[in-house]
Amino acid sequence: MDMKRHHYEDVQFLHGWANKFWFAVFVVLVIAAPYMFPAQLFLISLIGVNIIIALGLNILTGNTGQISLGHAGFVAIGAYTTVVLMQSWMIPFPAALIAGGILAMLFGVILALPALRLEGPYLAIATLAFGIAIKIILGNIPGLGGHNGISVIGMDLGFTMITSEVGIYYVIAGIALVMGIAARNIVKSRVGRAFQAIRDSDIAASAAGINLAGYKTMSFMISAFYAGIAGGLWAVLLGYINPNMFEFVVSIEYFAMVVVGGLGFVAGSVMGAAAVTYLRVNSDNLNSVPVIGWLLDLMSIDLTVQTGVTWVITGIVLILVVVLEPLGLYGIWLRIKIYWRTWPF
Amino acid sequence: MMDFSEIVTLIVRSVETGSIYALVGLAMGIIYKASEVPNFAQGEMATFSTFIAFMVLTVHGAPFYVAFVVSLLFAYILGIAFEFLCVRRAKNPTILSMIILTIGLQMVLYGLSGWVFGTEQRAFRLPFSQFETVEIGGVVISHLGLATIIASFVLMCLIYWFLEHTKTGLAMRASQQNSMAARINGISSNRVVNLSFGISSIVGAIAAMLFAPIITLSPDLMWDPLLKGFAAAVLGGFASLPGIVFGGYILALIENLFGLWFSLEYKSVVAMGIIVLVLYIKPSGLFSKHYQRKV
Amino acid sequence: MSNNPFFTVDKISKSFGGLQALKELSFHVNKGEIYSVIGPNGAGKSTLFNCINGIYKPDTGSVKIQGQEITGLRPDQVAAHKISRTFQNIELFSNMTTMDNILLGRHMHMKTGVFSASAMLWKNSFSAKDETEHRRKVDEIIDFLDLQASRNKLVSQLPYGIQKIAELGRALATEPELLLLDEPAAGLTNEEREDLIFWIRDIRDELGITIILIEHNIQMVSEISDRIIAINFGKKLVEGTVQEVTNNPDVVRAYLGAD
Repeated sequence: MDMKRHHYEDVQFLHGWANKFWFAVFVVLVIAAPYMFPAQLFLISLIGVNIIIALGLNILTGNTGQISLGHAGFVAIGAYTTVVLMQSWMIPFPAALIAGGILAMLFGVILALPALRLEGPYLAIATLAFGIAIKIILGNIPGLGGHNGISVIGMDLGFTMITSEVGIYYVIAGIALVMGIAARNIVKSRVGRAFQAIRDSDIAASAAGINLAGYKTMSFMISAFYAGIAGGLWAVLLGYINPNMFEFVVSIEYFAMVVVGGLGFVAGSVMGAAAVTYLRVNSDNLNSVPVIGWLLDLMSIDLTVQTGVTWVITGIVLILVVVLEPLGLYGIWLRIKIYWRTWPF
Repeated sequence: MMDFSEIVTLIVRSVETGSIYALVGLAMGIIYKASEVPNFAQGEMATFSTFIAFMVLTVHGAPFYVAFVVSLLFAYILGIAFEFLCVRRAKNPTILSMIILTIGLQMVLYGLSGWVFGTEQRAFRLPFSQFETVEIGGVVISHLGLATIIASFVLMCLIYWFLEHTKTGLAMRASQQNSMAARINGISSNRVVNLSFGISSIVGAIAAMLFAPIITLSPDLMWDPLLKGFAAAVLGGFASLPGIVFGGYILALIENLFGLWFSLEYKSVVAMGIIVLVLYIKPSGLFSKHYQRKV
Repeated sequence: MSNNPFFTVDKISKSFGGLQALKELSFHVNKGEIYSVIGPNGAGKSTLFNCINGIYKPDTGSVKIQGQEITGLRPDQVAAHKISRTFQNIELFSNMTTMDNILLGRHMHMKTGVFSASAMLWKNSFSAKDETEHRRKVDEIIDFLDLQASRNKLVSQLPYGIQKIAELGRALATEPELLLLDEPAAGLTNEEREDLIFWIRDIRDELGITIILIEHNIQMVSEISDRIIAINFGKKLVEGTVQEVTNNPDVVRAYLGAD
């Protein structure tokens, strides 16, 4: 152990040249993506939206240990607020988006109130109920378009409109990047440490001076804010919203993203959201999906136009995560990294 | 205001739907008591078993009782297989990983029933009609409704008798109350948990078969009943089986009252709201004690 | 001033259902003392700590530190009154490193919030300075307790004895004036126990922290305590110096179980 420790290195974002290099590569890929995969632009944008949701949900579930099976409710609040403010009140997109995030955050406080006293299955049902209630209520509020929803065109910035797919992609990618870095920094510092302490032992955490109610509420708020922002972006990306987008299975899908990627890891949120979203969008053409398609070809199974199969695959992955690799995709990646570092020994 | 016969009718209707909620809640409660696993896959396990009955009925043209028995047998095997192959093998058996595991199974079975049996709505018929009615003491009730109430009541009595008066039931209760002491006395808690998954799966399957004729059979058949059954279990307190049954009836009554007086659209929302409110006041449900971890 | 002892417990009672765990228990601790609580299993020792620390609310009675009432406060509010504790069955944050566990003890002294944390992007940002400053303090504690080798390991991978020390480190990191140690030596080897005695003395002598100790090992208690209280069935049997308590026939009876 070296005697002179540079403590900043422990928490520094992108410590060392290797990390800086790979992050730069990643950013270049994000910027170049619309030109590298023009046909997949919608998919990549949707992955960006879902990454934001997964980042927030992972802070709540992975770091703080609080289950939420109602996150689609927060996404819905963000989406509807953004759209209504833009369409009916003529408020520019950035303000409407932030308002959507903040309203979702306030609902996060409302959900946190009962959640403070609940654990395990009781918290699961309370959040599930919340998500379903939001969906039903939104479908019945007059002026929100009922079950047909509302359509929306582009991002009105006040002085200009962003309507092109590429433009919308860059907005989503930029926000996702900023929110990803913010999530990483929150997790690595005092607040994130308090969250993890609550997850591992709430009694010891409070004995060390952490206000449990305050920090659990904060975790719900951050998580709901992420979901709300993502909701606004999703609405613009799709060009419409309706209550059926926020069915409770969608909440379960968000939950699956976080678990598949790796609970408690920012990189896990990114990997999980990308993997699950990719699978879902390609659900009726699984034979063309890498790895899985190859396996299917190997067993000569043709799953073209077989809906339901993605559910089976996602479900199997969840079960495997619990039985084999509790850290999800991120854990697998860590193993590969350690394997290469020690290679060839 | 309502007159007397309207009130009685409302109560009977509530008992009818409440029976389904209670059975699903019981199914979840049986597993939860034995192993603290909140089984989110309960609904899909039941739906899949009902599909098996449907296939035996329509494709093989077998009589109803054969389909019923085959379906329950399948449900039992599905339950014990899931416990043996997955639940028991969890790396790190926290409540969170158990929730992940059962949600995983839920996804697998949901996808599989759509894949194998198709996502279209199917008519599932029991020998009791939903449209023919009988009148008992001024209350009109369908054959199916009557069958549902009677069958659930019989099933609840059976579960009670099984837990209180059989050797296996006693072993289950002993293991739930103190697994270490039970193990010292030669009761394997693994076997008890395994059995509870099997029994629970059967109870769920019966609930699904009683419910399927009311709407139609499709992969999402049990979404709503699962949620309500779960809510009933939470309302009564997972640890108390009579509490769960009571929770099921109360929940149905609240829903029906609200549907009658205000709006049908919001009846689920109100039921959920009430549950969240009850949990806020009593975090472990109405009929069970709140447990505080000892340090 | 002298009428006002550093820490007082005044007639606290606590019952669970029909079981009365504490019955009007009173005592006081002077500043800089090592005060030990002994008694057979189930005597109410851990319940006493839980009542002081706010995990349980006592039914009646009061707890004061430096004249300030802390009865019925939440654990985090009690911690803000500079009272820290360890637990009988180690309560570490098992998925965090030793460093992070002890750093958590610095929580009350750090100032980073959600917004400043999000902006931890350069070396002189507020949160980065907050982090480095407190990490330095934690390293002092790590050096003090000889935990250098475990610094970056997950605590769940450490041997039992080291875990106990890491938990002590976390309690120290909060900079308490009163430290509650719940059976710190249970499960330690003889060698580890010797180290522990040395550290407990150091904590009192060098850091000036007052210590209340629950311990089963009479030999260790006799070695380091200034005063001892023996309790049984939630009531005070006897209180006094080591000599007075260990020679008391009631204590001997309670411990040997003779009647």
